[in-house]
Amino acid sequence: MQPLTVGVIANPASGRDIRRLVTGGSVFDNAEKASMVFRLLVGLGAAGVERVLMMPAADGLGAGVARRYRNRGQVLSGSRCPELQILDWVPTGTEEDTLRAVGAMCDAGVAAIAVLGGDGTHRLVARECGNVPLCALSTGTNNTFPEMREATVAGLAMGLLATERVDPSDTTVVRERSLGVSVTGSERADLALVDVAAVASHFVGARALWKPDDVSELVVAFANPSAVGLSAVAGQLEPTRRGDEGVYVRFAPLEEAAIVVDVPLAPGFVTRMGIREHRRLSLGDVVVLSPGAGTIALDGERTFGRSLDDRVSVRLASGPLRIDVDAVMAAAGRQRALPTYLPSTLMKELI
Amino acid sequence: MSSTSAAGSEELTQEELLQHYRVMRTIREFEERVHREFATGDIPGFVHLYAGEEAIAAGVCACLREDDYITSTHRGHGHAIAKGCDVIGMMAEIFGRRTGLSKGKGGSMHIADFGLGMLGANGIVAGGSPLICGVGLSAKIRGTDQVGVTFAGDGASNQGMFLESLNLASIWNANCIFVVENNGYAEATASTYHQGGIDVAKRADGFGMPGVVVDGSDFFAVHEAAGEAISRARAGGGPTLLECKTVRFFGHFEGDAQTYRGENEVENARVQRDPLTRFEEQASAAGLVSEEALRAIDDEVAALIDEAVEQARAAPEPQAADLLTDVYINY
Repeated sequence: MQPLTVGVIANPASGRDIRRLVTGGSVFDNAEKASMVFRLLVGLGAAGVERVLMMPAADGLGAGVARRYRNRGQVLSGSRCPELQILDWVPTGTEEDTLRAVGAMCDAGVAAIAVLGGDGTHRLVARECGNVPLCALSTGTNNTFPEMREATVAGLAMGLLATERVDPSDTTVVRERSLGVSVTGSERADLALVDVAAVASHFVGARALWKPDDVSELVVAFANPSAVGLSAVAGQLEPTRRGDEGVYVRFAPLEEAAIVVDVPLAPGFVTRMGIREHRRLSLGDVVVLSPGAGTIALDGERTFGRSLDDRVSVRLASGPLRIDVDAVMAAAGRQRALPTYLPSTLMKELI
Repeated sequence: MSSTSAAGSEELTQEELLQHYRVMRTIREFEERVHREFATGDIPGFVHLYAGEEAIAAGVCACLREDDYITSTHRGHGHAIAKGCDVIGMMAEIFGRRTGLSKGKGGSMHIADFGLGMLGANGIVAGGSPLICGVGLSAKIRGTDQVGVTFAGDGASNQGMFLESLNLASIWNANCIFVVENNGYAEATASTYHQGGIDVAKRADGFGMPGVVVDGSDFFAVHEAAGEAISRARAGGGPTLLECKTVRFFGHFEGDAQTYRGENEVENARVQRDPLTRFEEQASAAGLVSEEALRAIDDEVAALIDEAVEQARAAPEPQAADLLTDVYINY
């Protein structure tokens, strides 16, 4: 019988982009990511997961985890730790590593995949993961899709679901929205989990989107008023809940704008943006972006160029499954999934 | 070959794009040719080739003015070309000829042209880092907005001099940019073995300066980040550590058997991470340059490098009496 297995994708490249220079973002080091993976593994093991498949990383993140696992395992000898298996190929250091790893994990029948990265990393995983639920953990900068959370608890929650000690339900595993992106006359098809933006810049360059004047249109899968990034713009105009309605926004120069809104576009960077119009979107609605040369940004990163002839369509669609860690742990408490009652305690309860 | 743009983040004109491509193509052609010429046994001393890392030198130096300064490394040909050094004089220097930029007495690791702000390649690992602090201090004392950029490898980033220089630049709030060309190896030792913490950029936090990682194979990524860092420094914002993840297409030095590299590692990198290919793909897709214009540059550069080798081979060697010149300078 195959050991109970989950996957781990930890992006070595997240959390160190140009926003550290032009805004107030800090560096999220791979040593801390390795530490997060280690803590995640401890939680998974405690919940009964037997094996973890992990993406190899060009920058040695996987080796860092393995070293930490080997050394710290002796200190934490009382812990049940799953077998750590780093997928066996030489990484390229590109997005292909993530896509290939998710494919391999799905083929291996993992119960869930933990993702450590920013919105961009989660976007890639969502392209390949089908109905395998994701545990979305933030290590990036402007993260709206994943959350900042202690990895040990996230590991416990994943493990409780994987072992079925907590029943999967529509509250513990939730269906997210996504934005399907297509270009007329092109084979390009992509998706975003948070936002799609039309950008004037010709080149993807340093990728991160941080110049407000560059953005002409925006579609968000959900409008979170407390987010950092473009989703916050829509969130201040038309706040919506996750997994529900999206929002379309057309920007305007400040002197021509109908509304101006001050938004935290990046950590330590609040800027004023002019709005020409905005409207809510329902599941299945399609927005055709106005023609223009430049780039299209997906989840805050300039991703591909477009010419004047390209027609870019964005559709609010059904997205990946996401583990709601709070809901799982609350259900675990109600179902007494974690406590083990000793005989003496049981006797007292019976009395 | 001089710098063309003072601000890295602005949209580039067609003329600028072609100039940046010319710089990268010149570096590539120069290095590929030195690789072949070295194999003939006619080049004295060591050479360390920069091929694969062109986008970094070109992207950074494109954002500098002629009166800005750089300090370089043992792998310095690319930096020298990008800062505008004469490739005829560089090739002659590498061949050890009297017409070389250092009169044939320094070779590959001592190419310099102070008039262009190229303060020298450097055989000392991390040797350029403290020098650039001097540049920053000098600009501060003289009240100019000149910027100094030092290039260093991932191995150099472990040196005390490098870390002390980060500290000096930080406390002086100096106009210094520390560009780390992380090609994954300190000589033959992989960064996974020699580098605690993996990301050099993280070390900037400890010195109170921003640390950024960019794809060093992408000219536009380097250009954007370097442009912002340099503009920030010029405006009094202080130093930056810019880590560029890159790949070298040759060994640490010519003659290195590279037994420490993975199977097909270099071949894959040449396909997937060639800075010139990536530049051409992006600039062409944006409709900003034509293939004809790029191929014309290729031809011109090839002719220039042919000429450089021909002149170098024909040039005289230094004489014994030259040993006693250029040793001391009276200021």
